[in-house]
Amino acid sequence: MPHTNTNMQLNRTIAPDFQTVQSVHFPAATHLLLDNGMPLYVINLGQQPVVRLEIVFEAGTWSETVAGSSFFTLKMLSEGTKSHTSAQISERFDEIGAFIDLSHSADRANLTVYGLTKHLEAILQLAQELLNEATFPENEFDTLKNVSLQNLRVNLEKNSYLATIKFRQLLFGNAHPYGRSQNEADISKLTTQHLRDFYEQSIQNQPFKVFLSGQIAQKETDLVNQYLGKQAINLTPKPAPQHQRTPPTTTSFVAEKPDAVQSSLRLGRPLFTRQHPDFYPFMVCNEVLGGYFGSRLVKNIREEKGLTYGISSGLSLLRRDGFWTVSADVKKESVELVFDEIFQEIAELQRNLVPEDELETVKNYLSGEFAGALNTPFEIADRVRLMALENLPLDFYTQHIASLRAVSAEQIRTMAQKYWQSADLLRVVV
Amino acid sequence: MIHYEQFTLDNGLEVYVHEDHTTPMAAVNILYNVGSRDEDENRTGFAHLFEHLMFGGSQHIPAYDAPLQKVGGENNAFTSPDITNYYITLPSVNLETAFWLESDRMMSLSFDPKVLEVQRKVVIEEFKQRYLNQPYGDVWLKLRPLAYQVHPYRWATIGKEISHIENATLDDVRAFFYKYYLPNNAILVVAGDVTLPQVKALTEKWFGPIAAGPQYVRRLPREPRQTEARFLETEAKVPLNALFKTYHIPARFDADYTAADLLSDVLGRGKSARLYQKLLKQRSLFAGINASMPPALEPGMLIVQGTINAGVTLEEANAAVEEVLQELAENGVAESELAKVKNQAESTLVFSEIELLNRAMSLAYAANAGNANWVNQETAKIVNVTTQQVQQMAQTVLAKQNCSTLFYRAVN
Repeated sequence: MPHTNTNMQLNRTIAPDFQTVQSVHFPAATHLLLDNGMPLYVINLGQQPVVRLEIVFEAGTWSETVAGSSFFTLKMLSEGTKSHTSAQISERFDEIGAFIDLSHSADRANLTVYGLTKHLEAILQLAQELLNEATFPENEFDTLKNVSLQNLRVNLEKNSYLATIKFRQLLFGNAHPYGRSQNEADISKLTTQHLRDFYEQSIQNQPFKVFLSGQIAQKETDLVNQYLGKQAINLTPKPAPQHQRTPPTTTSFVAEKPDAVQSSLRLGRPLFTRQHPDFYPFMVCNEVLGGYFGSRLVKNIREEKGLTYGISSGLSLLRRDGFWTVSADVKKESVELVFDEIFQEIAELQRNLVPEDELETVKNYLSGEFAGALNTPFEIADRVRLMALENLPLDFYTQHIASLRAVSAEQIRTMAQKYWQSADLLRVVV
Repeated sequence: MIHYEQFTLDNGLEVYVHEDHTTPMAAVNILYNVGSRDEDENRTGFAHLFEHLMFGGSQHIPAYDAPLQKVGGENNAFTSPDITNYYITLPSVNLETAFWLESDRMMSLSFDPKVLEVQRKVVIEEFKQRYLNQPYGDVWLKLRPLAYQVHPYRWATIGKEISHIENATLDDVRAFFYKYYLPNNAILVVAGDVTLPQVKALTEKWFGPIAAGPQYVRRLPREPRQTEARFLETEAKVPLNALFKTYHIPARFDADYTAADLLSDVLGRGKSARLYQKLLKQRSLFAGINASMPPALEPGMLIVQGTINAGVTLEEANAAVEEVLQELAENGVAESELAKVKNQAESTLVFSEIELLNRAMSLAYAANAGNANWVNQETAKIVNVTTQQVQQMAQTVLAKQNCSTLFYRAVN
């Protein structure tokens, strides 16, 4: 009879002892300057012979004067250069098993390539060619425009997409880079001349930051310098474009589709950037309400009432502003009930202190999640990039766990009172 | 290369340990050898509904998630046609919490009727959100029964219809649990900052007392070879016509699977692939087109799918795709083209091993299929594929009688 003795003593109702994560080791990035003065951040980590090269420009929607020009300029970089056609460029990335991602946001434009470290030189050659010699061929632009228009039409059929763009539009105003979204009219009006203008103004010979992560040795940083470091850079300062947020003129927008089986809802407000003193207290406050699977919204609306497959709340912090949102897709006839329950949960946080045990769980969860999201060179590089781009103090992430652990139940109640007054919250239902 | 050690408990639980001390975390992955293919055809969607119930409390622990969150852990699960997979990542100092939670729900669930009632609603909302309320969201509900007539791959994991989920009873839940959720029908992988002796001791302590059950023997009907082309047309309020074509391919760990995989890549992986270059770039027929093979342990599907530009008919688009496929079957691939997709595949493999949790899942998936070490043989399999094998595969797989075509027509 093996194990009988120990098994009889095993009390399964008692949780094993545990330790809380009090700090994590955040590996330091090496910060170098290339010969042309552009910064290179190196994150040398990991067991696999891979590399991620990321080149970041201040060239998002914020910088454009013609709607859509920044997005399409970026996407067109790989659609033809002085020396290669679009097909040849795709072929060259694919034949070395590298993956290029041209990602665009309201604030920035990123050229990212993932590949095996042994192919870094080929990757750099290609990247540099895209940044210097893009030609914006008409036929390729027509194809890209068409594909984008068709994709947009598909997205416009999705409730969640519509709810998100409407929400941002109402929060920031249609003319603001954080509020506007792609539309057919803007796309149709764009010409390759607009893209060439944006390319010259914001990408070609413009300052950038480079983030290199993966298995990196001296040889690799030398290679980056040999290519991107030789690039001529126009350092003439340019006035940063100014955009003012138009405050929401309404607190509620409803556009339900008659034949849809669910409605997508958003509730939220403008917020702040990461530098704001309320960042940590508000982040923990949000976590309690709807930030994780054990949150009050999930427990109430999904796990007790079964009204949705998923509900969550979160902070979206951009470079110059931020916003806070609750989102869910719910049964159509439950929309009002769900809003009522969200407001009740908010009221509860405004009235009463979060119990000690719940607050401890939230902090432990956030600490563990943070420690668990620092396990690949790319995850570390994402944080390094954020610190570098958002001008955060260099010990921001070293302090992260201490900062969130310092948040008190009183602060959380203050945050709920300060940021979640119902008159300040915008609702969207699609 | 994913190194691992293996042992088996007396009750049949197979355990794999992958040590990686470069991280302060541990990953615990439990794969149960049951998926939607094991369901009764009149109670489809049940394996997935059951996955939801696994979070509703077990015999000694009223709630699954909260104790894990309290020790800084995260978890989730998924159900596929073949398997149901549960995974945790947590700080390795708290590894025992994962053993406590996972062993208790393997021992017995709470079988609380309220949990079933709520999760039934949640899953119905999931069904709507992902399959009914999305453009083209119902395509798998149409495509699977077209491609499969006999094998249970003919229904989607979410289920054939909402009524099956509505009708599930607590007796069904109990029967399912005692049939499939057994130590001798599961694979446990523990990875990360852990040691073999530590995992052995914890496994004995927490899983050792769970009794084995009658071994589940899978007896599923074989899908007969398809002998003539199939066709279905459907319509919905979507912006663009879309074309879907599926072809039967070898099972995931069959000798010639990798050739099929590379064939699929030649056709439809990335922007240099044939379908994209010829039909989207050169001829402007499609707004998007690709080829892919969803994971399947039994003979699965190669799927070509594309959204079609306004002004192009489904018939034209279909003929153009067939032309590209036929050309490939007739003339094969060049060495350089095969080398390209091999490099892509090898690179993808290397990238897939960066994440600890991915390594744990890959081990569990291969171990369940027959041999954990298959994860380490993938690169060699890719390297060894020849242009002749790809062409031969193209001739077999891309034959018209092996194809099911779905015209998804846009209406206003």
